[in-house]
Amino acid sequence: MRIRLLLIAASLIPASLARADIAPPPSLAKAVVPSGPEVLARLDKAINAFKDAVWESKLRIKEPGGQWRELAFTTYQKVPGKRLVRFTGGENKGMNVLVESADTVYVYLPEFKKVRRMGTHVKNQNFGGSDFSSEDMSQTSYSNAFDAKLVGEDATTYILELSAKSGQEREFAKLKMWVGKEHSQATRIEYMDASGKKLKTEERVEYKKDSPEHWQPTRITVTDHRKSDHMSEIVFLTSKIDSGLPDDLFTVRSLQR
Amino acid sequence: MSSASARRSRFRLRAHATADCCNSLLATCALAAVTTLALGPGPAHADVEFKFGGQVSSDLRFRMNGQEVPVYGQDAIFPSQQRLLKYGFSRNENRIKTQLGLSIGTRVKAVADMDFVFYGYSDLKDLDATLYRERVDPWYIEADAAYLDVYRILPHLDLRIGRQIVSWGSADKFSPTNNLNTLDLSDPLLFGRALANQMVRLDWNPISDLIITAVWVPVFRPARLPRTAPLALSEFNRPAPVQDDLQRNTLGFLAAANPPKQLNVYTMQPEPSIENSQVGVRISGRALNIDMALSYYYGRWGIPTPAWAILKPDGLVEVGVVWPRMQVLGFDFAGTIDKLGGMGWWIEGGVFFPQQITYGVYDALAPGQWDPVTFERDKVTNRYESYKLGYPEHERGVVIPSTPFVKLTAGVDYSFNKYLYGNFQYVYGFIDEFGAGRSAFARPGAAIGDPARTEARIGHYLVAGADLKLFNAQLLLRFFGAFKVPPVGDMDPHFTAVLFPQIVWAVWDATELSVGSFVFLGPRDSKFGDPAAGATELFLKAKFTY
Repeated sequence: MRIRLLLIAASLIPASLARADIAPPPSLAKAVVPSGPEVLARLDKAINAFKDAVWESKLRIKEPGGQWRELAFTTYQKVPGKRLVRFTGGENKGMNVLVESADTVYVYLPEFKKVRRMGTHVKNQNFGGSDFSSEDMSQTSYSNAFDAKLVGEDATTYILELSAKSGQEREFAKLKMWVGKEHSQATRIEYMDASGKKLKTEERVEYKKDSPEHWQPTRITVTDHRKSDHMSEIVFLTSKIDSGLPDDLFTVRSLQR
Repeated sequence: MSSASARRSRFRLRAHATADCCNSLLATCALAAVTTLALGPGPAHADVEFKFGGQVSSDLRFRMNGQEVPVYGQDAIFPSQQRLLKYGFSRNENRIKTQLGLSIGTRVKAVADMDFVFYGYSDLKDLDATLYRERVDPWYIEADAAYLDVYRILPHLDLRIGRQIVSWGSADKFSPTNNLNTLDLSDPLLFGRALANQMVRLDWNPISDLIITAVWVPVFRPARLPRTAPLALSEFNRPAPVQDDLQRNTLGFLAAANPPKQLNVYTMQPEPSIENSQVGVRISGRALNIDMALSYYYGRWGIPTPAWAILKPDGLVEVGVVWPRMQVLGFDFAGTIDKLGGMGWWIEGGVFFPQQITYGVYDALAPGQWDPVTFERDKVTNRYESYKLGYPEHERGVVIPSTPFVKLTAGVDYSFNKYLYGNFQYVYGFIDEFGAGRSAFARPGAAIGDPARTEARIGHYLVAGADLKLFNAQLLLRFFGAFKVPPVGDMDPHFTAVLFPQIVWAVWDATELSVGSFVFLGPRDSKFGDPAAGATELFLKAKFTY
């Protein structure tokens, strides 16, 4: 009964964490101050501006002694929203997770040589024991979940305040987000409760262009202030954009191969 | 695992699919050769991907208040030091698992998954044995996988040939439709682990959700039984395994009149003929966001059942066991309930059509005597009224009736929050239960021939478990249990259950330590209290995955 293997499920979805962007024309950016919703729309467009992608990553979790525990995985993604995650290192090595949609998740359990359908309740769990929640890991669009308000700007960054739309049940009711003008990607997100108390901070740094139209953060660090500033990070080792991943990679049959 | 070692464990090469690859990777020579041959001329260039991994693990267990196997004074079979004591170390195992995978392009993959297992017990039946390493420190090899995949051998058709495990069904562990591989029941903590076998498997996946799988298993492989299993046959006060009460009491009376002193059990393995091949077909797909499958299996039940007994002079009894044929029509469904927070659910069932197994009993107590013991029905009541010794034979007792029976599992699971996960299943028919009718147990302290306690062979169980994760999932507190529910109308219900608490500590990268126990509860004439089922164990395990 390796139920523990089920914990990872919803997963592993660095989809929103490594996305392309089309930077706004500098002249336009200088000439017109966009509204909050416009900045957020650009961000959504940026994080979904590819057909498919492959990322090799490692998740690092800081232990109380200051050492880092690691877990390696490869994510295959195809727009809109299909993901296959293969664990390549760590205690879950060999496990594969297929996310066909928000409601349909399958896990291949190597210990039992079996594919298991997962309930969407696994979203309630965090990702591999890290500080990344399944919710913030699987975020592929912010505009449909949050109302945005532009609250600040400097030479390189827009600052947004996001509030969960009514009817949205979310772990974090409010977000404060710093969006880089160069790539329209988030560089820092503060997660807050309804009263505005900061609960968690996420930083996405070292953006690099990995194709003519793609920017990708090399490292994403999250600090959970509710757990004495406990830290986790995802380090992206490689990325491959629009390599023409076949559709049948994202099938239950593929999980067993 | 450090990032450096993670990278070392996985090589990705761009190369010609030639022997050069083998030369540079000596450890994978055999795999590469097989794959290259299978490819034939193949493409001039292909992506060659080599994956290597595995586990090193240790498993130490201490048995508490069990029944000795073999009984005091008898030799253990192998290794000679491996005895189950009332109190003693019941497992002292070290395992090195090595997993190799070699893919060439997107069409061919060869996989090997080998375990080297050290018993941790010596096998020294004489002094000469101390001269040999393999006797001082015996070991064995297991292989869960040694197969070759050819993808899209025809449009949408994949082929897998070789030693493999094919798991069917949606339920957790208790899958009535999962019969292609028999079970390794030697470890109660695993509730049965599939035993790999040589198979030919075809998967046809014409559209995304529809998969039709066909499997052929040329040679049947019996289940591996727990080390306590011989108690089920070797305790002389156990009731005869027939269904009818009068027949059972009569055979008990005969046994009491000629008390057995030695019991030899012989196996009648299925011959490796085409008639004894197993086949299975499964059609799976999804509709209304519910996964669903229908399956059919033709083969055998992996656990042997007694089929004949010969009573010989001087208390010698010879018993023969067989593996019954069966056919299983199965179904399984799985989905998620959004209105209940995404709770997962599954239902899986199988209708079993078993081969009838009768109990041929022969009285060979006197020299030159060979008289069948059969039973005659009363023509008015249609009940067995008397037994007949000698020819002509009347009716034999029935061990497994040909009556079809059902096994079913329905369950749900749910993550309450980041810390707590729960899993609940109703199981009708435990992993080792087979056949309609009733099981018979010797009551505690029963003498040979005493009336038995009986209960339905297929039982009702509640299986529940919970995981509590603490300290960023570094510490896992897990509790699982299975409780047998007495059927309505049972005049003599017994409480019986197994409990499985454990603590798992992810002490470092890919490194787990766990301690816990597996507790059998119930009187000895109950499902889990039966000494043949096993005894309570405490365990300490360590595992490193690379």
